[in-house]
Amino acid sequence: MSESASANAPKPSSSVKLVLLGEAAVGKSSLVLRFVNNDFQENKEPTIGAAFLTQKCTLPTRTIKFEIWDTAGQERFASLAPMYYRNAQAALVVYDVTKPSSLTKAKHWVAELQRQASPGIVIALVGNKLDLTNDGGDDAGASPAPQAESESGQEGNEGAAEDAEEQLPASGDARKVSTREASTYAEEEGLLFFETSAKIGTNVVEVFTAIANAIPESSLKTGRGAGGAGQTALGSRPGEDSRVNLGDRNAATAKEGCAC
Amino acid sequence: MMSLSSFVQKASSLIDPANFNIPSLSSNDNNPSKASLFRQQFRLPDSQNPLQEITAELILPLPNSSSDSADGSRRVDRAGNRYTGRLHLSERFICFSTQPTSFIPSSTLSASTSWTGQTHGTGPSGNGFTLPLSSIRRVERLHSARDVFSLALTTWNGLLNKQQEPNFAPQRLILQLVGSRQACERFCDCLKKGLREGMKEVDNLRNVVTDCYSEYLLSGTKAKDATDGEGRQPPDAGLGMLFRYPGDARKLRDRSKMRLWGEYFRENGRNSTLVRQPTFHKLIRVGLPNRLRGEIWELTSGSMFLRIRSPKLYVETLAKFDGQESLAIDEIEKDLNRSLPEYPGFQSEEGIGRLRRVLTAYSWTNAEVGYCQAMNIVVAALLIYMSEAQAFFLLSVLCDRLLPGYYSTTMYGTLLDQKVFESLVEKTMPVLWEHLAKFDVQLSVVSLPWFLSLYINSMPLVFAFRVLDVFFLEGPKVLFQVGLAILRINGEELLDIQDDGSFISVLKSYFSRLDESAHPRSENPKLRAITRFQELMVVAFKEFSGITHSTITEQREKHKDAVLDNIESFAKRTSIRNLGPESKRLSVDDLGTIYDRFYETLYQWEQHQKLAEEERKRQEKKKSERQSVLGPPVDRQVGRVGLGPSPTHMDYDAFREFLAATSKWAVSDTPAPARKDSSPSGYSSLRGNGKSLLWANRRQPADHEFMQRLYRKWATDPEEGLSLQNVVNGLARLKGSPDIMNNINYFFTLYDDSGNGEVDREGILKMSEALLFLSRRGFEGTITATQSLEDLSSPRGSEADQNRLATDEKFLGSVSAFIRRCFEYADPSHPDNQKAVFSDTTTEVTEKLDSFAIGDDEEDLIDVNDNDQQKTSPAAVSSPKPTESSEQNRPRSESANPALDPNNPLHITLPTLRMVVLADELLEQFFESYFPQSFHLSDHPHPASLAASSSLSSNLTTFSNLGHARPSASAVAGAPVAGASGGIVPPGKGLRGVLDNIVTDGIRMAAEVKKRMDEAQRELERNALGGRDEEDDEDEDDDYPSRQGASTATMAGGISSWGAGAYGADPERRSVREADRDLLEGAEAEVLSLRPTKEEASSQSRHRAKSPASVHDPEIVSKVVEFES
Repeated sequence: MSESASANAPKPSSSVKLVLLGEAAVGKSSLVLRFVNNDFQENKEPTIGAAFLTQKCTLPTRTIKFEIWDTAGQERFASLAPMYYRNAQAALVVYDVTKPSSLTKAKHWVAELQRQASPGIVIALVGNKLDLTNDGGDDAGASPAPQAESESGQEGNEGAAEDAEEQLPASGDARKVSTREASTYAEEEGLLFFETSAKIGTNVVEVFTAIANAIPESSLKTGRGAGGAGQTALGSRPGEDSRVNLGDRNAATAKEGCAC
Repeated sequence: MMSLSSFVQKASSLIDPANFNIPSLSSNDNNPSKASLFRQQFRLPDSQNPLQEITAELILPLPNSSSDSADGSRRVDRAGNRYTGRLHLSERFICFSTQPTSFIPSSTLSASTSWTGQTHGTGPSGNGFTLPLSSIRRVERLHSARDVFSLALTTWNGLLNKQQEPNFAPQRLILQLVGSRQACERFCDCLKKGLREGMKEVDNLRNVVTDCYSEYLLSGTKAKDATDGEGRQPPDAGLGMLFRYPGDARKLRDRSKMRLWGEYFRENGRNSTLVRQPTFHKLIRVGLPNRLRGEIWELTSGSMFLRIRSPKLYVETLAKFDGQESLAIDEIEKDLNRSLPEYPGFQSEEGIGRLRRVLTAYSWTNAEVGYCQAMNIVVAALLIYMSEAQAFFLLSVLCDRLLPGYYSTTMYGTLLDQKVFESLVEKTMPVLWEHLAKFDVQLSVVSLPWFLSLYINSMPLVFAFRVLDVFFLEGPKVLFQVGLAILRINGEELLDIQDDGSFISVLKSYFSRLDESAHPRSENPKLRAITRFQELMVVAFKEFSGITHSTITEQREKHKDAVLDNIESFAKRTSIRNLGPESKRLSVDDLGTIYDRFYETLYQWEQHQKLAEEERKRQEKKKSERQSVLGPPVDRQVGRVGLGPSPTHMDYDAFREFLAATSKWAVSDTPAPARKDSSPSGYSSLRGNGKSLLWANRRQPADHEFMQRLYRKWATDPEEGLSLQNVVNGLARLKGSPDIMNNINYFFTLYDDSGNGEVDREGILKMSEALLFLSRRGFEGTITATQSLEDLSSPRGSEADQNRLATDEKFLGSVSAFIRRCFEYADPSHPDNQKAVFSDTTTEVTEKLDSFAIGDDEEDLIDVNDNDQQKTSPAAVSSPKPTESSEQNRPRSESANPALDPNNPLHITLPTLRMVVLADELLEQFFESYFPQSFHLSDHPHPASLAASSSLSSNLTTFSNLGHARPSASAVAGAPVAGASGGIVPPGKGLRGVLDNIVTDGIRMAAEVKKRMDEAQRELERNALGGRDEEDDEDEDDDYPSRQGASTATMAGGISSWGAGAYGADPERRSVREADRDLLEGAEAEVLSLRPTKEEASSQSRHRAKSPASVHDPEIVSKVVEFES
């Protein structure tokens, strides 16, 4: 892993390339739409290739401009994905809490990203369609506007996950993936973890805010342009290591290289 | 020859590999086949082949004079439109085009010699016609001057309708053939034949044609008054009729376009009888009128011809698969509500229902593609203008011909065309290209959706449809031309962008303003009236007119490999990663090796079978046409994962190939050339047809019961075959843990057929057979007898060869000890019934074995032993070619298997097996290291095993070397040696032959023990060396009493010491016998301490010398008993 990341002094505004991955129809585009336009469409056209949107996220110390690549979810589009996650600094891997197979697919994506994407990519695992579960309505009041979360974004996340964990599947619930299962996995892999509802807005902004917080400042570019491919290699800050698991990822990447 | 090659052509598909540059194994040259170019040019179904061609002149009546003409022939002399071009005849079509074809007349059917002409396989852009022969009503030969050969074709144009049109004149085309009289006659003969065939299709044609909007348009109803209600109902021209067509009809000048088309149809024929004149192309360029759009698309794309061929296919497909489910259907359902949702038709059940049916029907007819997102958008767009059946066939043409590989499971076509597009951008707009490269903007993130959904969700619908109008006429190059034009027009702005985001937004805003004036500030009102879209079309087709089909073809060829490599490495990476926790026990390298080998084997196997199949078909000369109009092509290369769904499961025979590439023991003993004679039947029959050189040069896989067991064990569903996951899991369990217990367990479960933790007698014998099978090519150094034993067996044995020799031999002993011990320690399955079972009428052998097994030994069988020696010695001598005889024996022994008593009353359990294995040093090593290591993955590149197997077996060769190198040793060994081994071996055979015999016989021995063939027969078939295994048994059994002296054994050389390993283990057996069966840990130590027992080896060799042969089951037992007593 290269330490070549220019030690740019953190600027007030910097852009972050974020890619959304996940099985078809888990609500990737809807999450983006909710985040970007605070809107929801019942019948969103499937994404062909990828859609591109941007949205700013303001943190106390800086502003992050997300360049969001929303990818197609159908299995066969997977071979196009490397085109989109190339140079991505953050990824949202989305599954559907009512569909266990989508979590499996999400795990595949996480593995793919950890080995193939830029080292140090910040990955958030997101279980969408919380509105279809019994615990869905509880958080409906989440603020839709992008806003800064506390600096301790990570603790916040864990707290959220624990909250959700207590709400285990009840009868009549469409939920098929327990919060515990997903959060345990996320913890093992060092991922941010959220359960969201793009439909009613639960936790959507929180996901993006948490990602913004988790992006190491040293890796932020001041706007795009000067960027080269190598530049996205992150400088590791000790504090971030537990999250992004840099060491493991590097080892894996090296192995993978031999195999192909 | 003609018919043969035409058959080959027939077998080739709509996706002609060469034409679309899908790598084809069968054709090495890059030239597309003539037939495919022909089909491409005239948009013919893939069943068509160019049969005849001739230069001709097409004479058409002058447009405005046609309506008042009742007889076109009179006008021949008057000025008409004359077109010179080439007339082609296929099985069911007659085609004429003024545009030179891409192939020169001399080109062969299978390959055009070079690219010539302008069409380069592109669509019917020339003037002329493509007429189904069924649409020709009459052909007259006109009286002609000496060197003019004129034909008048009268078509069914307008006559298939019940309703007579006003002012109707039959369509008559005059063709003057230019060529030798002979050539003309030949053409006519062929035409006559085709017409006769074509008559059968007139009904089909009528069905299709009456549904065409053009017929309705020209029918009196429409002409008299424009109201739809009167007369007949208008045919289905898409959802647009119900939900309005996109765009403002007035602004699109739909009505005047309609009039123009009506006029054109009247003069030049409609639908299947349409003749293309320059106006046709112009009318398409200005945009099709809404209600005719579907029909013209159908016509220019050629999908109409498919529909004429099988008009009911759509309905039948839906009916056939009604109610069935599939993954594709699930995926389709997900997207139905989100396909062109802004169009009102797709917010209704009607529109969604149509979309569902078309996508579903197509997913059934082309399961390889199934459903790909973006198809929903394309089909939704088509359905606005055409009926379901029309859309279904057009989708087929799209997927198979116009957008090859776009929607495949790997989408390689999409990725390939992105690369092609990028390279074209680089070539035509280098400045822009550099700019994009500099700012790391990836072009394809923008352009990919353009191609994948045919601009439908990039541009406003009205404009996307105009692109489609041209696309269906001229082919895929249109997509590139339009794409390049978009970039060219926006070049200035694009040079300012610095990231993906702004790149996208520039183009987004451009698309949203396509209807605005391209020159809003121009003084010239005409210039001001030109919209941006018109500008786009002009730039696309004028400025980029140099982008032809052959440009695209060349570029595709150039980038194909890189794209496929990329996809494949991605696929490999992904599938290896997704193999699950089990696979983690193997290294990534190993998994990579398995992956490669798995798919390579599948591919080779597929190829081989395909060749065999072709061969078979060729022999049958059966020209059955493809069932599905657009089914999977026969000659499509299946090997590359990147190309799309390749087979994912291997059947048993393919699995054998896989094993042969993995393990030495899985390679057949019989060298390839000889195999036909000697290989078991059912096996050579598969091979026999394969003409592939590749295949013939491969190592031939063996076929052994053990491999079948592995197959069944690994497969989740043996019927379905083995998936990569199965193979990986299987290997992971074998190789993944270094634990000997694990390996023994694994071996045990392979033979635990009932799954109750017991392996019966037959299973035991099969196990031992498998042990011999697995070991028959040596151990590759993974097993060595301990030093003391080596010293014993070969006094000068410092050479590796000798060690190995010794080990191999000893292992045979171990195996025979294995059998014996297994029986010895087996548990009776029915303790109460033992005696009854023993006394039943089965052969002596059974009795002996049974009694043996339960410890009822020491019967008076000494005499049998004597008999044995007498009988078998001559038998052994009389079988000079043991290998061959064993080859003959095997099938027989196998056939005799079913005769076995199924109610075998004994079994061993896993602990017993463990004990027995651990009781023997060599077996222990076998399970600890050799067995797992014999599956070669990445660490030992399998070329090594390849080499080993190509010559019969490398380590076998060392034996013969050894034999020569140590003459003195064998000489010293003297009589015992001769008795033990040399005496049996025919002089010329050498040690190698000896070992071959040992191995094959060892295997056979186990088989024969159970088969209980009558003795006489066995005497003939047995060869002498096999008997030694049995003797081993006896030797080992009597080890305590017979341990005396006989130091000559040391001189017996490697071969005579082959039982020593087993011997060394014997004390251990004793200890086991005495102690509890589970008490195995201590055994090893005991073995070591007790090992230096030279007597054992020597006694063994002596006994061998005495009775060199016989595998007669009773004899085994008897000898054992003899010694024990």
